Order: sequence, then structure tokens, then C-alpha cells
Amino acid sequence: MRHIAISASRVILGFVLALFVGIPLGLLVGRYVLFHRLFSPIIEILRPLCPIAWIPFALAIFKTYTIAEVFGVRYTTSIFGHIQLGMLFVIFYGGFFPIFLNTVHGVKSVKDLFIESALLLGADKNQLFRKVIVPSSLPAILTGLRVGLGVSWMVIIAAEMLPGSDAGIGYLIMFSYELAEMDILIASMILIGAVGALLSYVVKVIADQTSFWQAKER
Amino acid sequence: MVSLRVDSIRKTFVGERREEVTAISDLSFFCEEGEFLCIVGPTGCGKTTLLRLIAGLDKPNAGTISVDNRIIEGLNNDATLVFQQYSLFPWRNVINNISFSLEMKHIGKRKRYEDAQYYIDLVGLKGFEKAYPYEISGGMQQRVAIARALTYNPKLLLFDERFGALDERTRHRLQEELLTIWQNQKKTVVFVTHNIDEAVFLASRILVMRDRPGSIMEEIAVDLPRPRDRRSKAFLDLHISIREMLEKILTTNTK
Repeated sequence: MRHIAISASRVILGFVLALFVGIPLGLLVGRYVLFHRLFSPIIEILRPLCPIAWIPFALAIFKTYTIAEVFGVRYTTSIFGHIQLGMLFVIFYGGFFPIFLNTVHGVKSVKDLFIESALLLGADKNQLFRKVIVPSSLPAILTGLRVGLGVSWMVIIAAEMLPGSDAGIGYLIMFSYELAEMDILIASMILIGAVGALLSYVVKVIADQTSFWQAKER
Repeated sequence: MVSLRVDSIRKTFVGERREEVTAISDLSFFCEEGEFLCIVGPTGCGKTTLLRLIAGLDKPNAGTISVDNRIIEGLNNDATLVFQQYSLFPWRNVINNISFSLEMKHIGKRKRYEDAQYYIDLVGLKGFEKAYPYEISGGMQQRVAIARALTYNPKLLLFDERFGALDERTRHRLQEELLTIWQNQKKTVVFVTHNIDEAVFLASRILVMRDRPGSIMEEIAVDLPRPRDRRSKAFLDLHISIREMLEKILTTNTK
């Protein structure tokens, strides 16, 4: 149970980070040509790079520093002592692209009709952004969040299997493999599936509440 | 006093094969304050383009458009265009769609809803305030679109073939409602349609447009008494003469 909690907190933290960077950046890139020109070459190169390919690199750069250590706490049994920066980076990376790309797509597919209507009803640029572009692309953004969370969850399992990892459900799987504990191994796998489904379900519930109008449009 | 003046405008587009297509050429007309001006013409004669120019969504390549002697540059703040397609915001319910322009003016929620309620009652949507666009019929969506435009309180209301997609009965009812609103609110209306019957029923003046390139071919003042009787001889005569004009345009095209 502790392993699941550690894995989940790593994923959630990394995912929230990806969300806070991915959505604003996606909104800007989708809306402004300048940002699009600036970021799209970098992103096109980084995108095909699987997040798992980054794991060794992340380990090399961030070593096994944890969040607790960054804040100067050396020895702690709290959960922050188990959140390694490298893992956080990899999760962030995995979650970022689906969120970012879906946001860009959402912003780009806002109908001109809505934008022109809003302008003709007196909306200024700021209002246009907040009252039309954001709500209109919300369903796409939420799809991105759902996919992003799924990817993050997959990536963390792989990251935890690597050397240097000391806890987490992925670590548990490797550990039980080495001890030939097939029952724990299989139980862990079932747990991974269940938690993944739960995370996805939570986002879906939120998504359905905010983008109910989309399914019924046309 | 002239409210809207369109002065020898030209609008060209770059076509699919990079050739220049002239949509509108040397088009001029004026529209007096309080007028109900209908513009009829064959499909693709540039009616929608003309409205977009008046609304300030596009710029003419030559010529000027002015409201109350002020030439419009950029968006026309005195006008609101009610689009041909459904343009309601699907993520907002009826009252939030209608009060959109008030929200843009930073008016508080309570005052906003109060003002919007007046227009909701006006277009007969009482009881549907909380409904979402996908939950109501096409006719009701049109009413919401009209109310949303009225709430902005523009001097000039532009309509782009608003009632084209509706069945005849709903269309007739909306036409009557629109006339009542026009008379009570003292608005200037420019209404584009390809439906002759609609134009004769609504307009105080009709402009007939020809296509390739779009320009005004004929101007007809309609002084039939209101409410107009669709079966009266004067109504039918006018209907037929406009039809003949349009047919003439089409036959000269095929030559």
C-alpha cells in the first residue's frame, strides 16, 4: 500500500507540473503565430523521444536527489523523501506532450464563428481568450489531461524498475521478481491496472461535467 | 440623416488557383436610420461578404463604409451581425448567451440577468433561461441569437439569411416577431436573404443584387401597409417583378 501511495504521489506531482506548464504553453502556441514558430521546431524534435528514453539521462543529471533533499532535509521518512527529481522530470515529460498537443489542437479548432461573434458583441482580446477560447477548447484540454495522466502512470512504473529506485509499485514488481514472489508480482500488476483506471475515471468525471455540451453538439 | 453609407466598395479574394476573384465591385447604397433594408440576390453574389464588410470583419479593397458619417476602420462598434450559421456559444446556457455582451461590459451578474430577462421575455423564451443551445429547437436558437444581438444594443442590426434553415411556419412567426422588435426598438436593420417572399414581407426598401461581380442592380421602395398580406395582389405583383429581375440576372450569366 505504501508503494502505491509513493508511486501515485510521484505521478500526481509530476502530472500537476506538466499541467501547469502544458496548458498555458499550449494556449499560447495555439493562439499566437509567434509562439508557434518559436516552439514548434523544438517540440517536433522532442516529441518522438519516448519518455522512457529519458530515464537514464534524468538519473545522470538529477542523480537520486529527492524533493526533501532539495529543501535541505536529509533524512526523512515522509513521502517527499521518496520523490526523486529524476522521476519527476520523466513523468513531467511524459505527461506534458499529450496535454500540450491537445491544448494546441483545441485552441486551433475554436470556430471563427465564435470568435467573430464574441468580437461583434464587444469582447476585447483578454475577454476573448478567457470567455471564448478557453471554454471552447476545454474538452480537448481535458482529453489531453486524461491521456497525459495515463502516460505518466505508465512511465513511472518503468522508472521505478531501474536501479537507484527504493520504493514504488514498479520497484515492488522488480523486487518480487528477484525474490520469485509471483503472487506479489501479479497482485502488483492488478493494482497498477486498477489505479490507472481509477485515475483515468476521476479525470473523465471532471471532463464530463465541464464539457457535457460537446458530445451533444451535432 | 443617413445612418449607413456604403460608398463604391470593391472586394476581391484570392481564388483557389491564386487568381484574383472580384466578389463585389463598385457597390454603393445608403440606409436611413430606422429603415428595414432587405438585400436579395442570387446565391454567391456577395451578400454575406457585404455584411461582413459592414460589420468590419473584413476590409474593402476600395471604397468606404461609414456609419453616421464616421468611416469605419476595424470592427464596427455600432453594428452586430447575426450570422447565417448557428453561432451560439454551446458551453453557455440561454441566459448566459444572451447576456454575453453585458458580461463583456463588466456589468454585475444580477443586473446582467435582469437586463437579459427583458430580452428573453421579448423573444418569448421565458422558462428556457437555463437550457443549453443543444437542448432547444432551431427556431428557439434563432431567437436566442436575436436576443443576444439586441442585448448589445447596436444601432445597426445585420442579419445574414437568418431564417433560411427553418420550416415555413417558424420562419413566418420569427419574421413577425422581428418586425415587432424592429418597430418597438427603433433599430436600423439590414437583412440579407435569397427568399423573395421574406424580403417583400419585411422590407421598407429592397435592394436587388446581381452577381459576378456583386453590385446593386435595382432598388425598390416597398410601401405596402403593415401587417402585410401575403395573398394581396400588390404583394404578389412585387414578388413576381423581383423574381423576374433575378431570373434576368441568371439568364445573362449563362450566356
